[in-house]
Amino acid sequence: MVEAKHDVLIVGAGCAGMRAAIEAHDAGADVALLSKIHPVRSHSGAAEGGINAALGNASEDSPEEHAYDTVKGSDYLGDQDAIEILCNEAPDDVYQLEHWGAVFSRTDDGRIAQRPFGAAGAPRTAYAADITGHVLVHVLYEQVMKRQIPAYEEFFAWKLVMNDDRCQGVIAWDLLDGGLKAIGAKTVILATGGAGRLYVGTTNAYACTGDGMALALRVGVPLKDMEMMQFHPTTLAPTGVLITEGCRGEGAYLLNSDGERFLKSYAPNAMELASRDVISRAEQTEIDEGRGINGNVLLDLRHLGAEKILERLHGTRELSMTFAGVDPIYEPIPVRPGSHYHMGGVDTDVWGLTSVEGLYAVGECACVSVHGANRLGGNALMETITFGKRVGRHAADWALANTTVEVPQSVEADAERELKALLDRQEGERPWSIRDELASSMHENFGVFRREDQMRKQGEIVEGLRERYERVIVDDKGDIFNTDLTQALELGFLLELAACMVPCGLERKESRGAHARPYDYPDRDDEQYLRHTLVTMRDGTPQVDWKPVTMTKWQPQERTY
Amino acid sequence: MHTDLAPAPGSTTIEIALKIWRYDAVTGDKELKRYEVEAPDWVTLLDVLDIIKDKHDGTLAYRKSCRMMICGSCGMRMDGAAVLACKTRMYDIAKSGHVPVISAMGNLPVRKDLVVDMEPFWDKIRRMKPWLDPGYEEPPEKEWRVSQEKMNVIHKEALCIMCGCCVSECNSMESDPEFFGPAALAKGMRFVGDARDQANVTRLEDYNDEHGIWDCTRCYFCNERCPKGVDPRDAIAKLGAESIKEGIDHDMGAKHAKWFVTSAKTTGWLRETELVPKTQGIVEAIKQTKFAIGLLKRGKVPPPIPPHVAERVNESRRLYSLVKEQGRDGALGIVQGEHALGRIEFTEQAGVKTSDPEVQPGVEPPPAEG
Repeated sequence: MVEAKHDVLIVGAGCAGMRAAIEAHDAGADVALLSKIHPVRSHSGAAEGGINAALGNASEDSPEEHAYDTVKGSDYLGDQDAIEILCNEAPDDVYQLEHWGAVFSRTDDGRIAQRPFGAAGAPRTAYAADITGHVLVHVLYEQVMKRQIPAYEEFFAWKLVMNDDRCQGVIAWDLLDGGLKAIGAKTVILATGGAGRLYVGTTNAYACTGDGMALALRVGVPLKDMEMMQFHPTTLAPTGVLITEGCRGEGAYLLNSDGERFLKSYAPNAMELASRDVISRAEQTEIDEGRGINGNVLLDLRHLGAEKILERLHGTRELSMTFAGVDPIYEPIPVRPGSHYHMGGVDTDVWGLTSVEGLYAVGECACVSVHGANRLGGNALMETITFGKRVGRHAADWALANTTVEVPQSVEADAERELKALLDRQEGERPWSIRDELASSMHENFGVFRREDQMRKQGEIVEGLRERYERVIVDDKGDIFNTDLTQALELGFLLELAACMVPCGLERKESRGAHARPYDYPDRDDEQYLRHTLVTMRDGTPQVDWKPVTMTKWQPQERTY
Repeated sequence: MHTDLAPAPGSTTIEIALKIWRYDAVTGDKELKRYEVEAPDWVTLLDVLDIIKDKHDGTLAYRKSCRMMICGSCGMRMDGAAVLACKTRMYDIAKSGHVPVISAMGNLPVRKDLVVDMEPFWDKIRRMKPWLDPGYEEPPEKEWRVSQEKMNVIHKEALCIMCGCCVSECNSMESDPEFFGPAALAKGMRFVGDARDQANVTRLEDYNDEHGIWDCTRCYFCNERCPKGVDPRDAIAKLGAESIKEGIDHDMGAKHAKWFVTSAKTTGWLRETELVPKTQGIVEAIKQTKFAIGLLKRGKVPPPIPPHVAERVNESRRLYSLVKEQGRDGALGIVQGEHALGRIEFTEQAGVKTSDPEVQPGVEPPPAEG
């Protein structure tokens, strides 16, 4: 039975989802949020360093320079029309957040403070100490509360309702009370975030299991640039907790076991402020060639002084003391590359619309694409806000002009039957070892550097894991807070995404941004591969296709830092 | 230097035992179950729960997400005190042989095992009208100009991750479930203290209601147990000071506080005999005359005449003037305190290490998360 019907239903309630909800509400639509965790628990809140907009508060800056840096950072795979939209709208969108009460750090004359970030030509990253994402999630949730926008909290979205070739709602498992619930909607916006849980040693939360990407894939929407997984240069061993790029923005050094600032050999001009793909490769090379320390390099903050660390990098200090046993005031922090951000995702246009009518995607789960082959630090939060706003407006306008919603009985019945089959299964394997093998093999075979033979092997491993998943069993048969069930469903999503990523990586026979093949294709090949990969599932088998990159002002150039 | 650092991740494993209060809301069954696991030496309480759920009992219910102390999902109790499971390293506990008892947070209804119903928590947050009310018709073209010093007033309150640990531990809420509670009041201070918010008087009047700021018993459990250093009790104290400054002093608690201040600036000692009439009014004071005489006879309070003046009353008066002079920015005391701490504790004289990093090449990395 259909629980409720809305004009706009947003799956995921992080920065992108909440920003979309606010915009859709203000456009007059009946909007609701649906999320498997409470909105303020969303992983947007773990973003630390800041949000990029050419405010020009710290030095001369312009949206054009922001766009150029982003295009170059993307290794020319970003769509330039989308990038120009992002950079042009960013300043006003940041002022809007400030007017809502975001607690930004301030300059001496009381304006929003901005710090230097990797591969940016100007100090462009507006910040709130090192808890920028936290501050933005809370200010957006305050605005959601103000507008009394309803939220289906702790509802796990499991299926999209397709009817009449349109997406008309979501079927979700209610975690607190149990049971499948169908929620009808004229438009559905996917804003579920990334899929970092594909890897061990990830900065991503347990919640980041690529749900929205898999939901879209299952209704035939192509995923774009799925081979492009960003490895963040500064994560803590062993679990991958994020240490912000803001450390390097404030002046921290990266050292190898000889105590050398090794980036002088890789990015002699930008040094620690080169782009993330460049630094992650440099670190991995140092570690592989025996100049690491216990599989790490060192992030040295000591020369910044206690006062600066306490004021601007307080959270970083707390994290490294808790998880690494290191107080950065006295000792350098051991760090290494860890999976961090999926540049790829659901293929959308610049309004977030997918190939299915009524279905939108935004934020990390989408690929619009502003990040191309490598995202710049601080651009992800900006994307969630600017494109969240745009998608919310477009979905609301479309919903208000179109009237019907129908969730066919058969869709609900099929979902019930499928779920019952999973819960009734008594013989088989519990999901955790499949999950662990997936994450460690992706790390091993589809990581910072990629080899043909390893990628092929990974393809076979993923296929084997998908077969084992067919016989997966759930221990908990109960209704109340059954995360045993939802974790099993999440693993199903992850496996399909891994199956999509590997062939895209094999097909892209070049090195571009995060996709580095130093052993067989060490160079970028603009002749053949200045284009996006698109992947769909046909009878459970991934099919790779291509899509041109949109170019406006900037032609590809050699990329050095 | 801090001495409470957890050990750096190593490559050995440890044996960990713990007991968990299981609760089944359908049957109402409660049971304290013991679990023993072998785990890498770096694990947190949350990692141990994950191992139990994976390998021992998939029905164990708890919330988790970021595992880096920012999402606020995994508040629970260890040996009766609220903690974030992801922040709690298990090494020292396991090595000591202690078997901790894990249970759901207090003051909130338990739904299953370690999962509580957070709805009453959010009801109280919403009651604070927790959104900026800048009182403008048209916003400025760019940002509001606000100094860092003014933003620092709400620095601590803005750190709150809404995990509920303070509410779990709140003694006032235990006796009066309608008490607004530390998290909601800290959220309230986040707006009262915001230089951009124009609704502070309306807010303060609201927060001075029954079940409001003056119902806090000042047990400081919230400050002690907050995993993020928000110090909600300090926020409540700031709300009290702001209320009195705005002339909102109808509550007995406000009057009580005011008399302490008057005493401090006049005689330097608390003038107890005048405290009751000033706080509770003349009628109530007369009713308590007999009790007061009893206290006087036994030397528990000094006689009102001659006034009991502190020997160095000028110090007390100077302190009064200093606090008054600092005004709201004095609330930044905590942040100033951290700066001061930084200067005192971390200067070179105090032994900051500036030598090259100590490195140990050739040592194997710890096992990856599994």
